[in-house]
Amino acid sequence: MTEDRYISLAHGNGGRYMRELIAEVFARHLSDPDKDNTLDVSLDAAPISLPAEGEPYMSTDGFIVKPLEFPGGDIGSLAIHGTVNDLAVSGARPLYLTLNAFIEEGLEIDTLDRIVQSLATAATACGVQVVAGDTKVLPRGEGGGLYLATTGVGIRPRGCDLGMHRIQAGDRMLVSGPVGDHGIAVMLAREDFEISGDVHSDSASVIGLAETAQRLDGLRFMRDPTRAGLVGVAYEIAQHAAVTIRLKETEIPVRDSVRMVCEMLGYDPYYLACEGRVVAIVSSEQADELLQSWRSLPAGNGAAIIGRIEQGPSRIILETEISGERILDDLEEDPLPRIC
Amino acid sequence: MHTPAEGSAARQIVVTGRVQGVGFRPFVYVTAHDLGIQGTVLNGSGKVFIHAEGSPALLDRLEHALVNLAPPLARPELAHSEPAEFEGMKDFSILASDTSSNTTSEAEIHVPPDLYTCDDCVGEMTTPHERRYAYPFINCTQCGPRYTIITAMPYDRPNTSMKDFPLCDECRAEYESPTDRRFHAQPLACPKCGPGLEYVCRSPLAGQWANELRPQEPLLSVIEDLRQGLIIAIKGVGGYHLMCDAANDEAVRTLRERKQRPHKPLAVMFPISGDDGLDSVRDSLEVGEVEARAIADPSRPIVLVRKKASCKLSKLLAPGLNELGAFLPYSPLHHLLLQAFNAPLLATSGNISGEPVITDEEEAENRLGRIADAFLHHNRPIVRPADDPVIRPMAGKARMIRLGRGVAPLERLLPDSLGEPTLAVGGHMKVTVALAWENRVVVSPHIGDLDSPRSIKIFQRVIDDLQNLYDIRATQIICDLHPGYASSHWAQDYCKQKGLALHAVQHHSAHASALAGEHPDVKRWLVFTWDGVGYGSDGSLWGGEALAGSPGAWNRVASFRPFNLAGGDKAGREPWRSAAALMWAEDQEWMPAVKGTELARLAWEKNINVFETSAVGRLFDAAAALVIGRDISSFEGQGPMELEQLTRGEAVLKPMHLPLISDGAGILRTDWAPLLTILGDSSIDPAHRADFFHESMASALLEQALAVRKQYAFDAVGLSGGVFQNRRLCELVVRKLKARDIEIHLHETVPANDGGLSFGQIVEVAALEKIK
Repeated sequence: MTEDRYISLAHGNGGRYMRELIAEVFARHLSDPDKDNTLDVSLDAAPISLPAEGEPYMSTDGFIVKPLEFPGGDIGSLAIHGTVNDLAVSGARPLYLTLNAFIEEGLEIDTLDRIVQSLATAATACGVQVVAGDTKVLPRGEGGGLYLATTGVGIRPRGCDLGMHRIQAGDRMLVSGPVGDHGIAVMLAREDFEISGDVHSDSASVIGLAETAQRLDGLRFMRDPTRAGLVGVAYEIAQHAAVTIRLKETEIPVRDSVRMVCEMLGYDPYYLACEGRVVAIVSSEQADELLQSWRSLPAGNGAAIIGRIEQGPSRIILETEISGERILDDLEEDPLPRIC
Repeated sequence: MHTPAEGSAARQIVVTGRVQGVGFRPFVYVTAHDLGIQGTVLNGSGKVFIHAEGSPALLDRLEHALVNLAPPLARPELAHSEPAEFEGMKDFSILASDTSSNTTSEAEIHVPPDLYTCDDCVGEMTTPHERRYAYPFINCTQCGPRYTIITAMPYDRPNTSMKDFPLCDECRAEYESPTDRRFHAQPLACPKCGPGLEYVCRSPLAGQWANELRPQEPLLSVIEDLRQGLIIAIKGVGGYHLMCDAANDEAVRTLRERKQRPHKPLAVMFPISGDDGLDSVRDSLEVGEVEARAIADPSRPIVLVRKKASCKLSKLLAPGLNELGAFLPYSPLHHLLLQAFNAPLLATSGNISGEPVITDEEEAENRLGRIADAFLHHNRPIVRPADDPVIRPMAGKARMIRLGRGVAPLERLLPDSLGEPTLAVGGHMKVTVALAWENRVVVSPHIGDLDSPRSIKIFQRVIDDLQNLYDIRATQIICDLHPGYASSHWAQDYCKQKGLALHAVQHHSAHASALAGEHPDVKRWLVFTWDGVGYGSDGSLWGGEALAGSPGAWNRVASFRPFNLAGGDKAGREPWRSAAALMWAEDQEWMPAVKGTELARLAWEKNINVFETSAVGRLFDAAAALVIGRDISSFEGQGPMELEQLTRGEAVLKPMHLPLISDGAGILRTDWAPLLTILGDSSIDPAHRADFFHESMASALLEQALAVRKQYAFDAVGLSGGVFQNRRLCELVVRKLKARDIEIHLHETVPANDGGLSFGQIVEVAALEKIK
């Protein structure tokens, strides 16, 4: 490795700098000679072995976040959890990932190293192997420090039937923990609020939550409420399954610290991103069972039954404490005040 | 073919206007009889067709009488009169309604509003031997429900929610007797054949609330329970009221707690007493001439009236305010209740905040179950809700604040005819919709804020119903320019689905046009449109705009210095945000007594969820926070209302001259900054500061008007927008402008607030079509 402390364009030119960067940052954290199917930087393509039972599933996701590191996580752990969670909520057990890193000229190499280490730690915790990767260096000013993209392969047990097509009136909606943590934590960190330490991103793997839920035959559908948050997921379900979703405001878990920030800034926590939560639709008969099994897991101890599916136009109704009802609109590009 | 007797002739007379549901045909019948005229009268949809035979002199007298001696609720217009074929008829008779297409096609339909119980019916229901003694659904051709029971036109019993109550023999005899005052009274009913009451109490049974039906003498039980301080949801004409003893602090407090309405003023229904019926109101309130006339108006609105110092009613009815909303019983049920209770009753809309009033039994029990201890239902279905109208007397006249039962559908004529049938869907809050065709426009009652499914449902239903009742299909739709209003979303979807043209009208242009539409004689306007927040044509949020011109051709000529407001929609509910926005913009350290505001300050500095606005409504909010510490409001307009009521009308502090500077775009902008020193000076009496603020804002308006006049010769100044529901401000402005001989107009029949937008949107588009 050179003595340079910052990424330069030479780190992307295919020569010695690039090989050193890959070896000393990426391979150092991601290669484990003791394991099969580990990252082998000498190969152009990696072989993977899949269990004979089950159906292979693939998913891909890109990651842009500012700042790169924030309370409760960083872009590295996020890049693992994002794709892993997409596979997990589809019912698949994540096995392999590929990684693309778009690095901006000028990024501190120490920062990159921390992020890749965090990524590797998250991958190990999730039981997934990063088997292939690529790096590119973007000229200064053309990237937000670091962009990542991961593609994942997982195996879904045969016979597992999850999807919006199974959702029916009467089903319950659950969320595995408080909403809005990630959105607020990142926003506070980005804007350099001094209180940012009070709120942590919920960035985490949801494999355990998803596997627990899958044991119930009444489980219809799962999704991780990332962009546009809880309402984003609810809206998608309402649209595709052509149902009304009725949420109970008093049941939706929101941390006091998140609520306080939302109140002050005029945000609605139900629209903020989560990175370690699952929204599940389950038959009314098994809603309590799912709630109990989630709550017995550390990742799900804040779980709650937050609403129900009803026949009706595709929309989200938020029921307030005093029997009031508010329609939650789809997220607008730039919501403007309407109160006159 | 008959030969007319010497001097006799026949005429076909067509009468339009409001002639249905108001006893017009019986009136024609009786008048013709009295004059000795033969012929027929026939109801078409919206028109009355008369064939009359007699001497020309008698026929002339008939025509005169039709227009000038018509029943008080009728608004007849003589549309045609022409010679007809003489048929030698022997008597005068009423024919069955004509529903054939040739009479409905022209759609001269007028849907009557609901009518307050007439004196004759009140007299009858209080006379013990009458068969409708104490009957809560008594009515006649001159009174009773209309808009809220009509399912289709023409207005006949089968087209009302009374269709499932077959008339008993006695009622039928009245219905069919041309000389009876119940002749063709469509909602006609009596205890034998008509609707009845049902009283349901909620009592705890095995830990669950269960309904307990009390069939015997429901009214006696109701009165008893009201005296005990219970809260009762009572089904009325246009929906449910929540009622309780207006003098019982505990009952009022309980209602507030359960409804989670800590401060919003609650209306009071007073018993009728004394010569003019207003003695009981006078016991508590300062009833002036305008107030008295407004309270006694046939629409029986809620009228905002100043409290007397000696007012014995609960202080919790309108905490922090010195006005109370007062109204009189308008349905027979209300008469019975108030007579028996013999004291004022709190009567607030049975709804969830911002939603249309609830109309149906099941929904009432479901949604009001946590608020009401008991329900007084009746089984006459309410087809569509109509909340009580609200009036505030200002500058010598009654001014409409909320369109509702008894007033709406409000019919007006347009100064400019429309090329095609048009529907305007208003704004987002206090929504009304308006349907217009040719030179007619019909405005719906207040629907509510379009945040809830119920509001949207009623909004859609009213849109459908108005088109069905008037037999008009809108082929173009108008909405507000604001992209986030639910009504705008609805209009976009509707137009896409039906392939209709959509127009978006800027919020303040619609306000200005609504005012201009009420005063069509004024040609060149300068309208001050001051309100909370409306989407401007430049994408920023306006609310302090002076528009010069006329409908279809408004120019934004003056405004206020814009400021940055943090917190999105929360800014509208938390006046401290407005105060902070102004203080911080002027580098003044100011923090409200609210926890966590340091964060808001940071967000404001970093421009997170911050928008720029020139809204005067927010300046009033800021003043309320600075002067009286109203940091958070629990209902819309609370801060400004409290600030207004603090004023005494004495200019102890000289109003401040605010700088007026032309911005880069040539718009004159008043700078609010110099006000802050005095507003924030807690050593000065808050009342003096409140007066100072109102005076200064009125002066700023005058300064703007004088400055504009140098460049643009207007005929009159107008005031529109929610800020001009402020009586003190309006009266100061009127005084200042009149002193300069400037003509000034305020709203009268259409609300200055967003309830007037739909009407304004119609006026604006009609004018635009004419200009093209």
